[in-house]
Amino acid sequence: MTVVDLMSEAKMNVELRSKAIEKGRYELYNCFQCMRCTSGCTSMKLLELKPHQIVTMVKLGLIDELITSGIIWTCAMCLKCTERCPQDAAPSDLITALRNLAFDMEANVPEAYLKVVSTVLEVGLIQEEQKVTSRDFEVYDREQLNLPKISKPDEIFKNNLLILLTPEED
Amino acid sequence: MEIGVYWGCMILTSQYAYEMSLREVLPKFGISITDIDKASCCGAPIKNVNQKAAIYLAVRNLALAEKDGINELLVPCNGCYLSFSEALHYWKKDDTLKRELGSLLAEEGLEFNGNIKLWHTVNFLHDKIGTEKIKTAVKKPLNGFKFVTHPGCHILRPSTIVNVDDPEKPRKLDNLLKALGAESIDYPEKLDCCGGGLLLSHSESALTIAGLKLKAIKSLNVDGLVVSCPSCKIMLGAKQEAVGAIVGEKFEIPVLYYTQLLGLALEIEAEKLGLHLNQSPVDKIIEKLT
Repeated sequence: MTVVDLMSEAKMNVELRSKAIEKGRYELYNCFQCMRCTSGCTSMKLLELKPHQIVTMVKLGLIDELITSGIIWTCAMCLKCTERCPQDAAPSDLITALRNLAFDMEANVPEAYLKVVSTVLEVGLIQEEQKVTSRDFEVYDREQLNLPKISKPDEIFKNNLLILLTPEED
Repeated sequence: MEIGVYWGCMILTSQYAYEMSLREVLPKFGISITDIDKASCCGAPIKNVNQKAAIYLAVRNLALAEKDGINELLVPCNGCYLSFSEALHYWKKDDTLKRELGSLLAEEGLEFNGNIKLWHTVNFLHDKIGTEKIKTAVKKPLNGFKFVTHPGCHILRPSTIVNVDDPEKPRKLDNLLKALGAESIDYPEKLDCCGGGLLLSHSESALTIAGLKLKAIKSLNVDGLVVSCPSCKIMLGAKQEAVGAIVGEKFEIPVLYYTQLLGLALEIEAEKLGLHLNQSPVDKIIEKLT
């Protein structure tokens, strides 16, 4: 489904729009649709992401559609759109805000992103220490490479992280 | 001088060559490294689900650095560098955030003052150590070598938050290559993303994006591609075979960290720089040099 299909049937949700805007840090209403964002977008060619359409849809309050469609997860976060926006509308920040909203509302967040969160909660890092294989198929760990042991964070940090990740009650 | 280093998850848990090469080259310029105790993830991967939690992770690590008496911190990973820069940016201008996160930090006996200077490998080598000093230190110049650079997105953009180099015309990595005696070729795809940010949700597109960049680089017939970000190195280096399979090309492009190349020019043994761990054919460079 393309963004245009989504727009034709959607209804404005003002409440969610203010939530999305509150979560972001940008001058959304300054956007005058110059499309500099879309013309340089890494994901445009392969995944049809058009940041200027996302900005318009948020202005129109079509938030439910955006967070359930999966389109917000096609952004590669190269941040060219935000760099080049002449109006400080920062489309990539807006996409991040929409992703955050999708997480709060448990709406269609790709599994892999949730897995990263649980690993960070569990390990403190995005993954456990890995063994690596050289081009000659020798296997090495940190110790064999004379690298110091990893010092991991305490439990308190995990509790704090969990508190922050729990959606606030309205 | 002493410098604190926040390595970040990728380098600490798998991209060992970056850590090894930095630990080898920095002492050659009289710099000793202080590691941060009990560091965690920088927050970057959490930003997708909760920005405030990401900023908490970032300032927690920065507070740990401050506690260790570090006031200048080297952050070799592009993703971590952006994450910390962003956190510092918002911490300084948002008092509510400061209060809320400050009380969470206090539970761990931490306090963050925001008085920390961040460096990335590229501007640390280019601006702090300086290209002249590097040039003088070179024992084995890389004369006759031609490379292309891939600075990576998150040390360049958004320039309101990070300022390692010019966001649209980055030159520092190229200047650093020239200091080693090598030539750096400019190419239209230099600013193109490696695709790494899409790996979690759209892996095939992520590999295709890397493939389009590698195709362009292949046509230039250079000796290799120089990077400064662990995520970009995985996409353009370690995944080269998978990327080739997706875009229907065979790639044999050596991809290495600038610090590894610098180490070679300083006559440090290849194995100490972790060059045996690069999955791309970097032997070509080592052979040409000897």
